[in-house]
Amino acid sequence: MIAALLAALVLYSLFAGRLPALWLGIVCLLSGGFLFLLGHHRHDGILVMDLYARRSRLCRENAAFKMAAGGGLLILSICTASPWPPLVLFGFLSAVTVIGGKLEWKSYISLLSLPIIFLLLSSLTLLWDFCQQFPADAAAVLPFPGGWLAVLPESQQRAGLVLARALGAVSCLYFISLSTPMPELLTVLRRIHLPEVMIELMVLIYRYIFILLTTCRQMQEAAASRLGYGRLKNSLRTTGLIYGGLLGHSFQRAGACFDAMESRCYTGQMVFLTRSKPLSVGFALLLVLPFVGMLIWILLTL
Amino acid sequence: MKTWEKKILSFSVMVPLAVCVPQTVSAMHIMEGYLPPAFGIGWGALCLPFVVAGIMAIRRLVAEHRKVMLLLAMAGAFIFVISSLKIPSVSGSCSHMTGTGLGAILFGVPVVSVLGVIVLLFQALLLAHGGLTTLGANTFSMAVAGPLLTWGLYQLGKKTRLPKLANVFLSVMLGNLFTYCVTSLQLAIAYPSPEGGMLASVGEFLLVFAPTQLPLAVIEGILTMLVMMGLENYASAELSELRGVKGGVLL
Repeated sequence: MIAALLAALVLYSLFAGRLPALWLGIVCLLSGGFLFLLGHHRHDGILVMDLYARRSRLCRENAAFKMAAGGGLLILSICTASPWPPLVLFGFLSAVTVIGGKLEWKSYISLLSLPIIFLLLSSLTLLWDFCQQFPADAAAVLPFPGGWLAVLPESQQRAGLVLARALGAVSCLYFISLSTPMPELLTVLRRIHLPEVMIELMVLIYRYIFILLTTCRQMQEAAASRLGYGRLKNSLRTTGLIYGGLLGHSFQRAGACFDAMESRCYTGQMVFLTRSKPLSVGFALLLVLPFVGMLIWILLTL
Repeated sequence: MKTWEKKILSFSVMVPLAVCVPQTVSAMHIMEGYLPPAFGIGWGALCLPFVVAGIMAIRRLVAEHRKVMLLLAMAGAFIFVISSLKIPSVSGSCSHMTGTGLGAILFGVPVVSVLGVIVLLFQALLLAHGGLTTLGANTFSMAVAGPLLTWGLYQLGKKTRLPKLANVFLSVMLGNLFTYCVTSLQLAIAYPSPEGGMLASVGEFLLVFAPTQLPLAVIEGILTMLVMMGLENYASAELSELRGVKGGVLL
């Protein structure tokens, strides 16, 4: 609900003085209502993004190409000087991720609500400035002790650009992470010769995350069934005990894992079977065309 | 003051807290695409020495004791897991821990910076906290600057014979606050205010994020203290093993 109010406030400051009052009201109400209805994020100890990536239809495509294209578009979208290309990219890549990957729109939007809160909070500071004299050209003004808080047209423009770039970039990130499971990403990272120690650590950390999440959920359920989260004091104590227990448990688990691996001839390297996924022409064109389009746009507007 | 008066007063304090604090609070990850390219690269470059030193340290440790790799991986997974779970908070909003303060106390700064990069990358890809282009900036604030201060304060507290738990609480809380100041500074350098310049902008960012970050720092301090207590009860054998493996170099 706070996010919805925040969204309405930010959009109001963004478009104040640029749109007629009626339209302004409609835009604010719509966006606020939209976030209020759909923007919920869950924590039941399941990594939903990992789940979606494994279910996605785009999972069949070549991982290296997806990472290269997503990364390229990401860099282009934060380099643009106009808010339109990243916004178009946001729409396009969201559609590719959702329709191409057969994901539900509702889950995609609920995933988006998380970064949007940070974005909204920081746009507030980009939009509202403190002025000592009354600003004549401001789009919106509030009295403040010792001066005025105002939205100036240039900060509106800057905040609009930053918002658009960030949305475009988030859609690229989501395209990569909702279409490619982590083990495939790690294989690509190994192929571009990241230090072996780091890759090894990443592989192990990724595998251990799920063990720890399951253990932690069991511990939390056990604590909850004994009223461990009754009051703030109790729940702080329970959380501290669970985390301490979890860390201790994880060290013991690591010891057991090491013994198991050692007895299966572990020499410091883990090799996995990877299936090669050929690149399909249609999919390649789907991502190369917008990349070339954005590149031309940026070069033309330099 | 009568009981009902106290109740009314505490209710009137709770209302503004509940209204003013946003619902989702994580440690301040700068979002994907929020920083201009030059800043993303610059902050990444600043972290590089720490990460390289960390990789070298880990490589050396692993060459001596292969088991350290698994212990470190578990620690990394632990940092990720606690940063993805909800912790109890004052206002009914959902907050998440950073976990790097605990890591800094247990493993030292270089190792935590490597674990931090990996955890931040996973957070970006699996939880959508932070991002790929802002990985450098986030690493600097959360896996280098914060842990550095936490570790320094913890060592200082040990020298001055501060009670251990108070020492853990203070160093983690201040490290967390430092992370939040550094993030505000990073945002302000990238987007200085047109009227008042960079300083005014730092103030604005600090102010906007203060209601979420100040309680979070205190809660993280308390929780880390409790975790340390639990660890000493349940896992003292593993802890001393870890100390023995590292030969006291990092701890």
